[in-house]
Amino acid sequence: MDSRYDIAIVGSGPAGLSAAVNARVRNKNIILFGNAEFSEKLIKAPKIKNYLGLPDITGLQLKDKFENHIKSMNINITLERINEIYAMGEYFGLMVNQKMYEAKAIVLATGIEYTKPLRGEEELLGKGVGYCATCDAPLYKGKVVTIIGYNKEAEREANYVNELVKKVYYIPMYRDKPNLDDNIEIVEDKVLEIYGKERVEKVILENKQIDTDGVFVLKDSISPAQLVPGIAMESNHVKVDANMNTNIPGCFAAGDCVGRPYQYMKAVGQGQTAALNAVSYLDKQ
Amino acid sequence: MVEEIKDANFSNSIKDSDTPVVVDFWASWCGPCKMLSPVIEEVSDELQGKAKFFKLNVDENPVTAAQFKIASIPTVMVFKDGSMVDKFVGFRPKDTIKDVLGKHI
Repeated sequence: MDSRYDIAIVGSGPAGLSAAVNARVRNKNIILFGNAEFSEKLIKAPKIKNYLGLPDITGLQLKDKFENHIKSMNINITLERINEIYAMGEYFGLMVNQKMYEAKAIVLATGIEYTKPLRGEEELLGKGVGYCATCDAPLYKGKVVTIIGYNKEAEREANYVNELVKKVYYIPMYRDKPNLDDNIEIVEDKVLEIYGKERVEKVILENKQIDTDGVFVLKDSISPAQLVPGIAMESNHVKVDANMNTNIPGCFAAGDCVGRPYQYMKAVGQGQTAALNAVSYLDKQ
Repeated sequence: MVEEIKDANFSNSIKDSDTPVVVDFWASWCGPCKMLSPVIEEVSDELQGKAKFFKLNVDENPVTAAQFKIASIPTVMVFKDGSMVDKFVGFRPKDTIKDVLGKHI
C-alpha cells in the first residue's frame, strides 16, 4: 500500500494544476492525476484572449507555460486514470484498476464530460448496465454480455470478461480496428438504445438488435457521480459552496466540473480556493 | 455488527425481525465491496438495536442472489416485514447510507 497523501488532485487541466501549485506552496504532500497533454481542450484552443496578462496566447503556448511552472516546483503528473473514489470517513481511497492510493483530502478537477449517456443507460444502471466490467463480470457466468467501448483500454477488459462469460459482443465507439480475442464478436454499428423493462434485454442498433443479459459501457471519463459515489450533483455539475466544498467533508471540486462559465481563469481561481480550503481542512484534523 | 447470512436461513432472518433488516450483497473479488464492508460495519454499530445487519456472499449463495436479480455488487437492500423497501447499488459514504436507512427506521 502506498503512503497516505495529504491531498490527491484528480485532473490536470487549469483547475487541477492551480490546486497542485497552491497546495505545494503550502508544503503539502500531494499527488496529481491526469494525462501528459494536461487537457485536450487546452491544447486545442486556437487563441485565448481572456487570460489576464497573456493576451493572444494559443492553447499550446499556455500549456507550455503551465508545464514550466509545475516543473519548476517539482510537481509531476501521475499518468493514471482513477476509476472510483471511496469516502472512507478519515481518508479517501482512490482506485486505479487493481491499485489503491490513499489521501486525506481530494480536489476534483475533472472537467466536464461531453459524452451523453446512451438512451436507456441511466435507467438500467445496476439492472444489467454497469461501468466496471472487472467488478461485475463474474455475475454473468454463462450469460451474454455486450461491451460498448469508447477507447482501446476497453479491449483489455473485454478480453478479461470473455474468459468468464458465455459470449461477448464488442461495439467499438471509435475508428481503430479493435484488437480482441478471436471468439469475441465485433459489431460495427451505431447504438440507438439499451432496452429492457425490469432489466437489460437487448441493445438496439441501427441495423440489428443484440439479445444480451448485461451491458458494460466503458468510457474515457465518467461523471463525478460515478467517480465519487455519494457526491451531490446539481444537474450535471458537482454541487459546491463558495469554498469549493462538496457535500462530502474533505472533498473539494473546482473548474468546469462545478459549473459554468467554462473559462480558464475561473478554473484556476477555483482550483486555488479548493486547495487552500483543503489545506485548512487538513490543519483542523 | 454485521452477521453472515446464507441461502438456507435467508428468508427466516428477513421475516423474523421487529426492526428493518439491511443486507449487503458482496463477493471476495469485488473491490468496492471490500471498501464498503468496513463502512457498513461502522453504520451497524451506530444503529445498534435500530436495524439488523447481514451480509451475503453472492458466490456461495446463488439462490438468493438470483432471487433478487443481483446484477451489480455491492448491492445493499433494506427489508421491512419481509419485503424489500429500498436498495442502493455501489459504494456509498457513511452519511449517505445513514440517510437512506433513516427513512425506514
